[in-house]
Amino acid sequence: MNDAANTDRWIRWLNTLQLVLAGVVIMAPTVWMVLSSFKPSFEVTAYPPTMIFSPTLENYVALTKTTPFLSYALNSLIVTVGSTALGLLFGIPAAFAVSWTRISWPAILTLAARMAPGTLFLLPWYVMFRQIGMIGSYTALILSHAVITLPIVIWVLLPSFDGIPRSVFEAAQVDGCSVTRILWRIALPLVASGVAVSAILAFVFSWNYFLFALVLSNGDTKTLIAAAFNFIGEGSTQWGALMAAATLIALPPLVLAALVQRWLVSGLTLGAVKG
Amino acid sequence: MSDTAATLTQDRQKLEMAALSAPAVIFTVGMIAFPVVYTIWLGFQTFSSTGKQSFAGLANYLKLISDVEFWHGLWITIALFVLSLVLQLVFGVWLALVLFNAKRLPGIVRSLFISPFMMPPVVAGMMWLVILDPSLGAANYILQSLGLPPSDWLASPTWVIPTVALIDSWQWTPYVALIVLGGLQSLPPSVYEAAQIDGASPFKTFQRITLPLLLPTIVTAAILRSVDLLRFFDIIYITTQGGPGNASNTLNIYGFRVGFEFFNIGYASALMLTLTAIVFGAVLAFNRLRGAVAW
Repeated sequence: MNDAANTDRWIRWLNTLQLVLAGVVIMAPTVWMVLSSFKPSFEVTAYPPTMIFSPTLENYVALTKTTPFLSYALNSLIVTVGSTALGLLFGIPAAFAVSWTRISWPAILTLAARMAPGTLFLLPWYVMFRQIGMIGSYTALILSHAVITLPIVIWVLLPSFDGIPRSVFEAAQVDGCSVTRILWRIALPLVASGVAVSAILAFVFSWNYFLFALVLSNGDTKTLIAAAFNFIGEGSTQWGALMAAATLIALPPLVLAALVQRWLVSGLTLGAVKG
Repeated sequence: MSDTAATLTQDRQKLEMAALSAPAVIFTVGMIAFPVVYTIWLGFQTFSSTGKQSFAGLANYLKLISDVEFWHGLWITIALFVLSLVLQLVFGVWLALVLFNAKRLPGIVRSLFISPFMMPPVVAGMMWLVILDPSLGAANYILQSLGLPPSDWLASPTWVIPTVALIDSWQWTPYVALIVLGGLQSLPPSVYEAAQIDGASPFKTFQRITLPLLLPTIVTAAILRSVDLLRFFDIIYITTQGGPGNASNTLNIYGFRVGFEFFNIGYASALMLTLTAIVFGAVLAFNRLRGAVAW
């Protein structure tokens, strides 16, 4: 009996050890990035690397002074908010209709964007947007990023809509409510938390998306992610500023994701797994 | 009378439903279906240096067959795909078991575990570029302190693909782990109790019971990762741009460069359609596999 208890404690101890090990491997690179961003410039490239230093904001100041960081950030915000809003506007009614009618092809159609390589769309978009002079416009960027946000909204919301008992709708129909009215007045308030999760996921993936802005933006509309490339070019030895840029770019998605972490996994697998 | 009224409302309802889906469908057809058809057409065109285009028949696809860089890109894509997928599935299942045994998972711990894959891949690339710097990076310092030889990591033609696989696995292993954890939590506890009564060792229980029951979940994770891994782009473009030389020139990177650096839109279209066919083929194959391991 005592033996069994001992083995039990051993197993628990071993498990905790593995958990800590995994945590360190997962966290260490990010911690190192944030630490480096607060190091004085001569210490960032010190070898052997230093762990103890007097933190400074000089890298962040340098970033805003030597690069148009804030206007890139504003571009990112415009494109991300615009594409998330567009994704919600098109995605909410579509998810509701698919859930109600069980006709799923519109939802599957939007998934194509999740599977095909982005360059496949980018080639014709580039040719078409150039013909109508829209390269570098916010409109082109928002439209292209909505291709990312739309399937996220639809597939995250589908299980939420499916979860509403049919009787709720049938009662409303008997009362003479139109379908559109049922969606906005009855169904939407019931899936409000699902809408919030889908909006945050759409925001995160639109913010993080790299490829489209690389080609479709110009100097004035460049997003932070597309501009990251310039930071590397300029800062081949200015690691401090590079890490400050990386930290700031990663901050919005990380903060938002932390807010909805509990619901993230089922959302991220597009409903394939109920987390 | 009431019958026609009923069909009338039913027709009305169908119309309203179609109207609700219409914006999403029209948007998707306009932004995806039509451009893909256009790409197919572009794949049969050549563009001269002056920008004049002409019909080329299958020339782009014939060029593909004899293009050394295409076969190299295909090989690199498959190598990166297999290496990353194996790493992420093996460590993902391990991490899921560790998390499952921990029982309680405070929100803050979960937030930390999802942080790698919520961060932009571009940022992950920037971060690891600094850590893996051959002369001043922290990674080589740690290796040397442990008495191990330093590596050139992303700057080495031999090691660049394993290194990229390592970076991507750092980012996405926790994601695989959380999917598998979801699968573990949905397994009926009775199967474990039965195994315990039979006196099976923990390892035997895992091998004979847990793993087979988890396979459908693991295949789902494999599908979701494959789709991203076969069109690998962000981390490579930000760290090596396909280099050193062409050592990390995956098909997606190669196609992008053919299209937007050399402006050979016709050939790039042929390349991207081929890659798309590969991705869809992989998804179909995994889907059949999932059917085979379902319970």
